[in-house]
Amino acid sequence: MTSSLMQLKNVTMKFGGVTALSEVTFDVKKQEILGLIGPNGAGKTTVFNVITGVYQITSGEIIFDGKSLSGMKRYKITKRGVARTFQNIRLWGDMTALENVMTATDTHKKSGLVSGLFGFPVSRREEKRDKARAQELLDFIGIGEYADRLAKNLPYGVQRRLEIARAMGAEPKLLLLDEPAAGFNPAEKVELAATIRKIRDAGYTVLLIEHDMSLVMRVSDRVVVLDFGQKIADDSPRKVQDDPRVIEAYLGVPEDAS
Amino acid sequence: MINLRDKGAEIWERQGRLGRVGIALGGLAIAAALPFMGGTILNTPIADYESVLVYPIAMYVLMAIGLNIVIGKSGLLDLGYVAFFAIGAYTMGLLGTKTDLNTWEILPIGIAMAMFSGIILGVPALKLRGDYLAIITLGFGEIVRIVALNLGALGRSEGIINIPTPPAIFGIEYRFDSHRIYYWTLLVLILFAIWMVRRLSVRRAGRAWESIRQDEDAAELLGVPTFKYKVWAFVLGASVGGAAGVFYASKTLFIAPDNFTLQISILILACVVFGGMGNIWGVILGAVILGYLPDRIRFISDARLLVFGLVLVIMMNLRPDGLLPRKKREKAIVKKDAL
Ligand SMILES: Nc1ncnc2c1ncn2[C@@H]1O[C@H](COP(=O)(O)OP(=O)(O)OP(=O)(O)O)[C@@H](O)[C@H]1O
Ligand SMILES: [Mg+2]
Repeated sequence: MTSSLMQLKNVTMKFGGVTALSEVTFDVKKQEILGLIGPNGAGKTTVFNVITGVYQITSGEIIFDGKSLSGMKRYKITKRGVARTFQNIRLWGDMTALENVMTATDTHKKSGLVSGLFGFPVSRREEKRDKARAQELLDFIGIGEYADRLAKNLPYGVQRRLEIARAMGAEPKLLLLDEPAAGFNPAEKVELAATIRKIRDAGYTVLLIEHDMSLVMRVSDRVVVLDFGQKIADDSPRKVQDDPRVIEAYLGVPEDAS
Repeated sequence: MINLRDKGAEIWERQGRLGRVGIALGGLAIAAALPFMGGTILNTPIADYESVLVYPIAMYVLMAIGLNIVIGKSGLLDLGYVAFFAIGAYTMGLLGTKTDLNTWEILPIGIAMAMFSGIILGVPALKLRGDYLAIITLGFGEIVRIVALNLGALGRSEGIINIPTPPAIFGIEYRFDSHRIYYWTLLVLILFAIWMVRRLSVRRAGRAWESIRQDEDAAELLGVPTFKYKVWAFVLGASVGGAAGVFYASKTLFIAPDNFTLQISILILACVVFGGMGNIWGVILGAVILGYLPDRIRFISDARLLVFGLVLVIMMNLRPDGLLPRKKREKAIVKKDAL
């Protein structure tokens, strides 16, 4: 339970003159829900971007499951066991919900283009299995009834949930959720919190970016706080809430602007 | 405007297995019977009707299906598709005149050569996106033509003459003036290409291409090996272009660099865009119409490029997705729920 799945060691990310992350160090432990919070522009999404290989870090190291991720191709990082959702929804709108998830489940497929062309049994078997798995994930997230709808025509809340199902389709060990509750009403947030706990209980590790404090504090086992690219706290939700530096960081900026 | 695509899809989905086989066979029968319609209203006053069926119509259809894999399925703008057509044709020309190999033996070699050049071009070019890819492919198309123009072995501007016709197969003779035999052979090639595309579209490769077309970064981040699938799209598109080229050379008996200008790339692109990028039936319809009309209506024949340009501009404004747009509809089950 307490062994670590991922370690960020002194991770620095500079964009020209802007230092988005500065010497950030923290651990993600197996099967925990780790909250990642901070004011707007603190560098939370950038953490996801450097883990998933969107950006190459300026210095430092990211170890996932015992191996460094630096220089690894983005799809290979996903294959190794990290999948994410996007803060601004990036589904494939012209595909159905089911196809969106299936495209991600393809990550671990053995059969490729040639066996698909000739309809080899392995390809047909995998196709059937992946379809069942994708439907299972949609049901798990609670949007099974939307399987055959085009992603772009889905209601906003369903799209947000589909982002999660799609990421889970890649069978990650670590699931990165970037503000999954953005735009949700309180009832939907409560429901989502339950879903996130359910995901963890199914064996996943979750790194959760969220602006809604009560949601983060309710579901997280531990919370890391970023401010201006620096880690200012890393503790249990209760302790983080009382941390003067955290209070200052949050009082220093306008209330939840997103 | 009426939505032909949805009408068609609705009829298709309402059929049982038997109905679908019926529709498919019916369509095929009509296509196969076209050479006998020369005396009807379909006749082309400008050129020999049966030869028009072979080139441009059937040849355009085949190439448009190939280019559609690249542009329509995976969203890669390839402006040099003629290169693969040329490589197939020159493979036929060279091997057909210099060796004892016949058309059927050269066909796989021509396809392999086109695929190989697809890799050569694709591996560096597909690291680029959008406009840059378009420019590189455009250049590649021109390079192939200019190489043919300057290489003694390829006959320079004279090209290659006396390319052999295909030998008889299954007792069918290929005389250079028996156009309908060539047409039916092309029909077989087209069916094979349709089979390949449809087969790939519904499986992993189809989803990978679709995700790349819609949001390449998201695809890569969700585990799609985007580069690999882009190269595959390129190589499969090239294989169809190569096959068309081999057969073209074996039909016309004479090829020269002038047959492989940028204009061909643009015309095939026009077929794809006009018919409906990403929808194989739309692309076929587009190629049939744009292949046929110039030989049917004299005015268009004289100002082919001008008219095509105008058609594209008008289409882009009125119907940017083409005559038969790609799938935009949800399955019937959901429709029922919505009622
Ligand atoms: N590609 C980039 N180029 C330049 N600067 C960037 C880039 N990506 C992020 N930044 C900068 O890095 C900082 C952190 O951005 P990031 O998106 O990680 O913040 P965040 O904590 O996710 O904020 P929010 O809560 O608004 O989503 C910001 O100042 C942003 O402008
Ligand atoms: Mg963010």
